[in-house]
Amino acid sequence: MPVTSERYAIGLARAFGGAIIFGIPLLMTMEMWSLGFSMGRGRLLLLMVFTLAVLVGLSYFSGFEKTFSLKEDAMDAFAAFGVGVITSAVLLVVLAVITFDMTWSEIVGRVALQSVPASIGAMLGRKQLGDEQDMDAEEERKREAGYGGELFLMVAGALFLAFNMAPTEEMILIAFQMTPWHVLALGVLSILLLHVFVYSIGFSGQESRPEGGTFLTTFLHFTLAGYGVALLVSFYVLWSFGRTDGVSVAEIANMLVVLGFPASLGAATARLVV
Amino acid sequence: MNREHKQGGNETGKVAPQVPWLEWVASGVGLLLVLGVFGVIGWQLFNGATVPPVITVEVENVALVEGGHRVLFRARNRAGEAAAQVEIEGTVSTAGSDPETSRVVLDYIPGHSEQEGGLFFRRDPRSGALTLRATGFANP
Repeated sequence: MPVTSERYAIGLARAFGGAIIFGIPLLMTMEMWSLGFSMGRGRLLLLMVFTLAVLVGLSYFSGFEKTFSLKEDAMDAFAAFGVGVITSAVLLVVLAVITFDMTWSEIVGRVALQSVPASIGAMLGRKQLGDEQDMDAEEERKREAGYGGELFLMVAGALFLAFNMAPTEEMILIAFQMTPWHVLALGVLSILLLHVFVYSIGFSGQESRPEGGTFLTTFLHFTLAGYGVALLVSFYVLWSFGRTDGVSVAEIANMLVVLGFPASLGAATARLVV
Repeated sequence: MNREHKQGGNETGKVAPQVPWLEWVASGVGLLLVLGVFGVIGWQLFNGATVPPVITVEVENVALVEGGHRVLFRARNRAGEAAAQVEIEGTVSTAGSDPETSRVVLDYIPGHSEQEGGLFFRRDPRSGALTLRATGFANP
């Protein structure tokens, strides 16, 4: 079937739908508004670059074409980013978070930060809200991509969910409230859920255990690796928001485990969602 | 964003996939937004975004309202870094009596931006000397 502009328009409309649905929780989160202008500019820029890279990767995995073309994926990523920026800008104006007596740097900062979840949502919206897609080609891509691809999907999933929680004060507050026992319990629970979600309870798109893999190798290769990814992504997101500045290592560890909980759920379900 | 194989002409079946014009438009707009957003953020990086807050307060308007006098002010952050929990203190001092002080806390003033607020006084600020200043801030 040829890709006409009409079909592309439908895809674009789905992308806008995804951007709104996946972006709305953070569009209505107070901390996101102030982080938009108060977080370090260098960190914000790095976050945007990282997001674009993730978008290119996501385009590869949920793309329809079998042939890998970096140009196509880059075009997709830019389009998703554009959809994310436009959706965020319009909604922030409607919600009166952005008014026109603000300075440009403030407006751009707020829109830029919100465009991270919105553009990932735009990319996922195409798949989640669409019906016609080539599941076989997609499965083949995931198989071809191998272990590196698995890790990438875990990074994307962890980023999306961690990003949804990290801006809120609650992450820090929860870390303050918890005793070391709570933290250990939450860490164990995260690893357990990560393993169960991916290998045991039969979600659609679930992975089968790698051939010849024993429980232990699967656990080490995928579950522990996934939790490692979740912790790293959590750290990156917390650092981006300046939550780790001047905080003691022990307290950072607590925050990592707290944010690592949603991040590991994101890592576990990314393979099901993307 | 929707793309599938276009098999070109039926007879060849090997023609390179053709990109619909709308895809060019969408990606083009996206690319422009990327450059614009990155540009503005990058520009700030090298233009004093890391200078700590300097806050000045100007009186905008003084009015007699129910229960006292209302002073509207505009607090301006002249530096690049954002300030949080900025306390604005206003004092009306008239000769022969203790000065009257009112305070308010502004949640945030972003860099190179301004926030408006108001203070209430029992005494008429115009009857004496009215001073407004920021007493402190926290890093966000």
